[in-house]
Amino acid sequence: MDNKTQPATNREHQSKWTLRNIILIALIAIFTGIIFWGAGFLYTALTVVLTPIGAAPFANDLLMGLWCMAGPLTGFVVRTFGSAFVGEFLGAAVEVFLGGQWGAGAFISGLVQGIGSELGFAFTGYKRYDWVGLNASIFTTVVVTFAWDMIKNGYNKFGIPLLLALFVTRYISTFIFGGVLTKMIVRLLDRSNAFSL
Amino acid sequence: MNPGLKLLLVMAIALEISFTQSLIVNVILICVSFIYILFNRVTFKALIGLIFWPLFPALGLFVSQWLYGSAGIHFAWILFTRIYAYVFLGATFTLTSSITDLALTLEQDFRLPSKFAYGVLAAFNLMPKINEEVQIIKTSALMRGEALHFWSPKLYFKAILSSIQWSQNLAEAMTSHGFVEDQGRTHYRVIKITAMDWVWFIGLFGIVQVLLFFIRY
Repeated sequence: MDNKTQPATNREHQSKWTLRNIILIALIAIFTGIIFWGAGFLYTALTVVLTPIGAAPFANDLLMGLWCMAGPLTGFVVRTFGSAFVGEFLGAAVEVFLGGQWGAGAFISGLVQGIGSELGFAFTGYKRYDWVGLNASIFTTVVVTFAWDMIKNGYNKFGIPLLLALFVTRYISTFIFGGVLTKMIVRLLDRSNAFSL
Repeated sequence: MNPGLKLLLVMAIALEISFTQSLIVNVILICVSFIYILFNRVTFKALIGLIFWPLFPALGLFVSQWLYGSAGIHFAWILFTRIYAYVFLGATFTLTSSITDLALTLEQDFRLPSKFAYGVLAAFNLMPKINEEVQIIKTSALMRGEALHFWSPKLYFKAILSSIQWSQNLAEAMTSHGFVEDQGRTHYRVIKITAMDWVWFIGLFGIVQVLLFFIRY
């Protein structure tokens, strides 16, 4: 049985939910999860520094892009409905099983981030695997995760200036990690013809 | 309790306390989860970790809400306890359930297609190997005088290359062991959701509803 599903050279292809692609998505999610795990001290360090001035939520927003990277990556590698969502959710699940400091919250954050990331690809009809599609995904990720933090982390009780600052911070972070970095990785994959492997 | 139902229960309660604002219910959830964890032979080190690490985000949220929030200190305490409720609820699942059992029950009882259950399980079982691979990628880059950090595209690029290769190998290995996608399977280990599981699930979920309804503080 042939487990190869991605035809060579055809960049416009749609992927399918085959066993091989499912494993691929899960592996990428775990890889990114483990790489962030190594950067976990960053969050704690930032929080420690920012807590005395009451700006700890900024640590969350500064690193948001990093946490939301698995979605765009898997969305780009396996180009089909749901791959960004599954990748992002599994990435969060890895953190839970590694024993992260979020517990069950990470599962739900994963769901929310996955939906955010997936929506962008859905809006472009799973056809724009370029800068436009990526930016759509960034936009929906920021909006959806921010709306969620309004509820979960009590952002809705903050004043407008603070909210705006948090939103902009989150957007920049997501743009850099989910956008620019993802774009650079995809370019490397493109150049090495990895998509046709 | 069946791991699938337990996960569902934990997530449902976690989702619910994100929308409701009851300090007392949060504390009750923390205490009950804590006692449950204690009964499940958790190591002392893990327990200290569970208490210590969430302190940073919880305290951070607390202080910022206290200083800049419009809802006062009571709401700040709700956010503080909410973080701990997530963590202890999550721990009741992660400290007592195995990923294998979860995959089995999701496939057998929750109708998850077997390719998802076993595909993801296969990947998760490689976790130690993936950890190693990240170190190998970093070390071999260092040998060429190049330090890879979490912001280096090359690190992810090489990780994805490994993923592509491994996913191919794993899928072929599973196929050659007789795994066929989208085909019915028989099971060596059967996991069922028992009546008792349902009683616990509905009972506990019901109790949380009642608590949330009556305790508004």
